[in-house]
Amino acid sequence: MTSSPQPPVSVVRENARRADAFAPAWPFAKLALWYVASVSLTLLVWQSCIWIFHPAPYIVPTPRATYDVVVSQWSQIWPLALGTFRETIYGYAAGAALGFLLAVAMYKIRVFRSLSYPLIIGSQAIPIIALAPILVLVIGFNIYPTIIVVTWIVFFPVTINTLDGFLNLDPDLLNLTRVLGATRGRRFWFVELPGVVTPLFSGLKIGAAYAVTGAIIGEQAASSGPSLYQFQVAANNQSRTDLVYGITIVMMIIGLLWFAVVTGLDRIFTPWKYRATARRWFRRDKTRNASLTTND
Amino acid sequence: MPSSPLLQISSVSKTFGGVVALDTTSLELAEGSFTSLVGPSGCGKSTLFNIISGLLPPDGGSVSLEGRDVTGTSGHVGYMLQKDLLVPWRTVMGNITLAASLTRRVTAEDRAQAQAQAERYGLGDFLHHYPRTLSGGMRQRVALMRTLATNQSLLLLDEPFGALDAQTRLDMQQWLLEIWADLGKTVVFVTHDVDEALFLSDRVLVMSPRPGRVVADLTVDVARPRTLATLTDPSFIELKRRVLGLLHRENA
Repeated sequence: MTSSPQPPVSVVRENARRADAFAPAWPFAKLALWYVASVSLTLLVWQSCIWIFHPAPYIVPTPRATYDVVVSQWSQIWPLALGTFRETIYGYAAGAALGFLLAVAMYKIRVFRSLSYPLIIGSQAIPIIALAPILVLVIGFNIYPTIIVVTWIVFFPVTINTLDGFLNLDPDLLNLTRVLGATRGRRFWFVELPGVVTPLFSGLKIGAAYAVTGAIIGEQAASSGPSLYQFQVAANNQSRTDLVYGITIVMMIIGLLWFAVVTGLDRIFTPWKYRATARRWFRRDKTRNASLTTND
Repeated sequence: MPSSPLLQISSVSKTFGGVVALDTTSLELAEGSFTSLVGPSGCGKSTLFNIISGLLPPDGGSVSLEGRDVTGTSGHVGYMLQKDLLVPWRTVMGNITLAASLTRRVTAEDRAQAQAQAERYGLGDFLHHYPRTLSGGMRQRVALMRTLATNQSLLLLDEPFGALDAQTRLDMQQWLLEIWADLGKTVVFVTHDVDEALFLSDRVLVMSPRPGRVVADLTVDVARPRTLATLTDPSFIELKRRVLGLLHRENA
């Protein structure tokens, strides 16, 4: 029993209802449904263009023909697509790590921030197409120039977004941590770092969308063996337009897949944006009593 | 007179770029007392508040707490602002134990204590909720619980109920008094609201700007526990008249 003015039952109920609204039962099913709707719409527009304008099949193939050629060539496409995917995720991982570490260093070390900011902007002013051959000159024909190109593209949005997040942390909150006697390390781990998770993921998502572009540019300039890009060029030279379209779509799907993975990670790392209450296994107290008082 | 004051402020002052934010001020607070600072913006109440908390080093003078010199150092008070400053990524429980996790490993006792207090003061149903799902009043309760969980004997509360609607604020004031009576904390409370200052406090310090200073030190001789009826009690009204007079003389 408490003698304090308890929140009225209606308030508790209202909060419980809001709790349900924040945690839909099948968030991923709902998301998947929208993906399907969006893809179907695109295919419909594509097919409609063919019905209306009757372009020659060597200019615009039908969705059906494109699908068929991808299926028939799948044994060739599949290992190349896997290679592109591998370049994408290696480069992405390096870019995400580099981008994050740069942001932390720029946040913590003022001199470093001032010195590196122009360089970081400058790095993006260089056309990647111009950069790739230089990387090949320095490193040679292997997978590394491609990975570096992807890293080069991915780190930038991660650094800029994360640094903005750090610099926009609520100064009152940081003051509070000082008043509470926080150590530097614990303040970073428990307040500053979780405080930038949202902008960090914004950067990671932008990077995910661009990463495949980087991988294909790398394949164009530096690829040592067969690659998805070269396969597409070969198809184009043979006027197999349907295959050119199909490979382009495969490239897009690689990007989409990776974006979906990053979005999934975002959801896992930011449950407070989607849920009213903490998942049971995230709860720090293991007392029986606590589980009785919750409503999820 | 009590034996020795919990908090002793000796001749502190603060000037920002030629503007005297706080003129030389000395103050003693008895253990277990509830003291409010009232005054218009720029009267130095936040400056004084930040000097006590250690966020701001004073230009001169000293602050000592329980006989210890704490001038310009932090980590010795509980502290709460009008903004609740709950972190969205931690649940109610996690926010209450935030202070502990910023200084050391959070123990099972910390969590047990947080849970016991949350349940005692009406937050038991929300232990595992994220702050986003709570109303403004509930969030301020959590913020106060977090302040209490620091286990400091001195609590600094800077307009903690300033952003709440009048009815919620009155509930919160009574709730705060109940906690204060239970736990025997020493409270320094900053507010614009004269009613709030008088309703809560043993002692009201009226401050005025340019330069920021304490212009009156009033004892609130109104019986406790205080209820809604207190607000219309003749002695309460009389005190309110005096405080309003002091505040508005400065504006004239």
